[in-house]
Amino acid sequence: MTATTTVPAAPAPSDPLRQPKAAGGGTTRRRGPGRVAASIILWGYAIVALLPLLIMVMSSLRTNMQLATDPLGLPTSPTFAAYRRAWTQGQFGAYFLNSLLVTIGAVALSTAVSTAAAYALARSNSRIMRVLEALFLSGLMLPIHLAVLPIFYLFDGVGLIDSRIGLILLYGAGGVPFSVFVLGAFFRQVPGELEEAAAIDGAGPWRVFTTIMIPLVRPALATVAVFRFVPIWNDFLFPLVLLRSDSKYTLPVGLSTFFGEHANDYSTIFAGLVITTLPLIALFAIATKQIVAGLTAGMSK
Amino acid sequence: MRMRLGTAALFVLPALVLFGVFILYPMVTAFSYAFFDWQGTSRGAFVGFKQFEALFTKPPFTTDLPRALLHNIVFFLATIVLQNSIGLGIASLLHSRASTRRALQTLFAVPYLVSPLVVGYLWSLLLSPAFGPVNTLLRKVGLESWALPWLGDPTTALPVVILISVWQWIGFPVLLYGAALGGIPEEFSEAARVDGARPSQIFRRIKLPLLLPAIGTVSVLTFIFAMEAFALPYAVGGSTGNPGGATDFLSLLFYRTAFDSGATDAIGTSSALATLLFVVIFGGALTATWVLRRQERRLLG
Amino acid sequence: MTPSFSSTVHHGPIRRARPRRTLLMAAAATLTGALLAAGCAPSNSDSASTGTAAGAGGSAGGSGGGAASADGPVTLTVWSWRVEDTAAYRKIFDAYQSKNPGVTVNFKAFKATEYNQILATGLSGSDGPDVPQVRSYGQLQATLAAKSLVPLDDTLDLKGWDPTIVASAKGKADGKLYAVPFAQQSVQLYYNQDVFSANGIKPPTTWKEFQDACAKLKQAGVTPLAIGGKDDWTLPIVHEAVAASRFGGKEFAAAAASGKKNFTDPNWTASIQTVADLKQYMPDGVTGVPLTDAVTLFATGKAAIFPGGSYDLAMLKAANPDLKLGVFQMPVVDGSPAGATPTTAGWADGNFGVNAKSKNVAAAKKLVKWMSTKEFGQLVVDEIKQVSAVPGVTFSDPVMKQMSDFYAKNPSPYFLLTDFRYGTPSGGELFTKGMVNVLLGKQSPAQVGTDMDKGLAAWFKPQQ
Repeated sequence: MTATTTVPAAPAPSDPLRQPKAAGGGTTRRRGPGRVAASIILWGYAIVALLPLLIMVMSSLRTNMQLATDPLGLPTSPTFAAYRRAWTQGQFGAYFLNSLLVTIGAVALSTAVSTAAAYALARSNSRIMRVLEALFLSGLMLPIHLAVLPIFYLFDGVGLIDSRIGLILLYGAGGVPFSVFVLGAFFRQVPGELEEAAAIDGAGPWRVFTTIMIPLVRPALATVAVFRFVPIWNDFLFPLVLLRSDSKYTLPVGLSTFFGEHANDYSTIFAGLVITTLPLIALFAIATKQIVAGLTAGMSK
Repeated sequence: MRMRLGTAALFVLPALVLFGVFILYPMVTAFSYAFFDWQGTSRGAFVGFKQFEALFTKPPFTTDLPRALLHNIVFFLATIVLQNSIGLGIASLLHSRASTRRALQTLFAVPYLVSPLVVGYLWSLLLSPAFGPVNTLLRKVGLESWALPWLGDPTTALPVVILISVWQWIGFPVLLYGAALGGIPEEFSEAARVDGARPSQIFRRIKLPLLLPAIGTVSVLTFIFAMEAFALPYAVGGSTGNPGGATDFLSLLFYRTAFDSGATDAIGTSSALATLLFVVIFGGALTATWVLRRQERRLLG
Repeated sequence: MTPSFSSTVHHGPIRRARPRRTLLMAAAATLTGALLAAGCAPSNSDSASTGTAAGAGGSAGGSGGGAASADGPVTLTVWSWRVEDTAAYRKIFDAYQSKNPGVTVNFKAFKATEYNQILATGLSGSDGPDVPQVRSYGQLQATLAAKSLVPLDDTLDLKGWDPTIVASAKGKADGKLYAVPFAQQSVQLYYNQDVFSANGIKPPTTWKEFQDACAKLKQAGVTPLAIGGKDDWTLPIVHEAVAASRFGGKEFAAAAASGKKNFTDPNWTASIQTVADLKQYMPDGVTGVPLTDAVTLFATGKAAIFPGGSYDLAMLKAANPDLKLGVFQMPVVDGSPAGATPTTAGWADGNFGVNAKSKNVAAAKKLVKWMSTKEFGQLVVDEIKQVSAVPGVTFSDPVMKQMSDFYAKNPSPYFLLTDFRYGTPSGGELFTKGMVNVLLGKQSPAQVGTDMDKGLAAWFKPQQ
């Protein structure tokens, strides 16, 4: 249910020209017991957030027998056999590439069309455009997974079953409401003078858009891209129903089949879980700076 | 700078076509299915609101629908309270430390990156009374009586699902509130402090009202998220909401009705349910926004 | 709605429309559109008519390539939910291919829990399977109502098959046969021979022996019964495995199906109590134990007895190839109705049918017909390690032979599934919910029966 609407970020427009100083200018002068307590709480919660995932990683490095006798033990003699099994038997390599292709394709598509649409919506006063905008935004509330049957029939009718392109189009469309919502707010914040100046110099709307506007909303683009990336990467239902061949499966679908085959092979399953999860963590670690910048720009006034 | 309607239309068109074909059209079709009689996947006569009537008069809906709706509401309320309080708490603590903030923000957000499928599977294993590390740990520290069948007891299962969900999504409010806090000029608090206000007063009187828009955004999005909840409960308790329907949700009921019930008119009733769900989400989100706006006006004058 | 809302986040002089009103307009447009779209939704009434057409004239229904003429080069797609049996099925269909030149069989398996969804969409779409594995009994009926399968009364001859099994492939409304059951399932108790002998225990032949064995195992620190109650469908199976004699096996099943007895019957209540009394011998927190953990307990020798279905055999062997498995039938429970014998519950959990939209109906029929032969049955036994429903197959695996013999000797239908799954809420669903609460001490066994009667009254109309 999460593909289209679960990404909460409601950046109110801000002035992207003036990157707000990260709020961190904050106070560092408070010392003493309060601060220590805060540190304990924060790092304590970090452990809560990460421990289950650490157990997942540790379990993937142990054998099934070890897991059955001592579920909590440390991987004293770590073995990567589970990874070898998962990788060779689970075709994770292919699933991984499919996920990457579909996700990047869909994010690129929805970001591209939404940026153009959001710009026009921000710059037009027409009543038609207001209705269109509302239509896009109502998409934030559409439980699109409930339309899985009509989507299947639609795809079946136009020959998009078992097609990664089909998935890209679907996810691309699913990303429009959120992307228009976030980007529209940013465009509204950009003062019109720049465009007017460019227009006087003879630049057409398309040129203004590509050379002036897009660079200005780059932090928002990063935020939108990353927040769309996660639910698409993790979606399970649509690839399950719309894909047919093993060779086109994305990671979550491959993983679910893998569960079926290895129900009692815990360490191999844990290895599969790790393989599925790592790429996103890597992406997020790299992109946090961008996301935080985009959000901060969005949330501040 | 204004854009001419024709130009604007060209900019909007790609997004509109994509969204219209792949989201709006299937969704509207799904709603339309609710008004027909169905024999398996073949459509019969137009029956008006008969399918909707069935939702309120026929078993299993007479028992399952109120139960699922109640769970969705409990899920929403608990999530909103926990996420807002924990999220705001953590964000405030983080606000005052520039050096470790980004690292911690990233750590807290990591569970969000994990596929709900993986999260559900992982926690089922972690909480298993037989080999689960959680109960093993509880026994080791002498809390024998706390080693419960967490996901196997109707009284604990729903709270556990809620906690898992909060665990997974907490990174969001932390990021959003962090960004919003960053947008509050330091001078405000500074001035209040000079006037002799205590930190708790500063938080309640100055920061909280300014955070209200962010809280509202998080709340509305949480509402949509909670009403659509599917992936996690499905992964934890299956389509029937084990144990004994204790973790049943509206989306699961939809799924069961559409695919597991074996009923011949499954598509009709499930589409009626989807339509109802959409109306609830849409109505709820609009009402919530309206209430919050009034609150804001009152507070901010 | 958020957009109007977020406009208040900033207070700058920014142009805003009035999204709230326009949003309402959009909503209204969407809903009106829903009614209009009724006219232009993907025409499913078409799919019904195509379905019937193909069903009626399978040989005429083929499109292009002379596909219908069973002898030309034909590719048949078979769908199944048995991911774990993929290799075995490929081997089986290789055997078919070598005898039927020109026919290629593509076997494709999907995850069991999401198979219904894939099947429903697949059968109504244009590129579905020629031969789908379909569900049984009540769960088959929606597929039939959509006219997705070709009736096979003229193709299949299932004389001599167990009627309980054959019923799984029939239409409730028209009584026609639509598929061939691929296996017969039965419930019994697996045991770990090494654990039994290490504790000086033999498979029990009386209820007392069974209880003594459990007590002894528990004393020795072994979990007597490996049960995973978190997966909801396991509890009715456990109940059948340990307490079928207590409620009276097939006599009660027949009485319940015909409405002569209901679930407040004292024997039914007592059978639930029988399971509840065994809780002390189940893993701690049994209602929260996933089935995989129960299997691991059993496969690693931490538990001695695994009440399960014949379909579990391959899985148990895979979990620990060195496991020395035995199997026994639960002795008659004390207090059972007069004349009770040990009994083994059986049913069919899946069938192979012919997709009405297949372009190769004739070839598909031929394949399905082959699936009702002893040759196929024997391959199911040897390769898939399931008890075939075809009469006369032989078993080289002693455990499998034993299971087949148990069922042949004292069969009873697994009637919550074979008779009480033609509507919602199903009998199994109601039972499971009650059983969980009984195991948690939150409900009395009698209450379970009352709730079952109440829930079933919604759709169950016994044919007296």
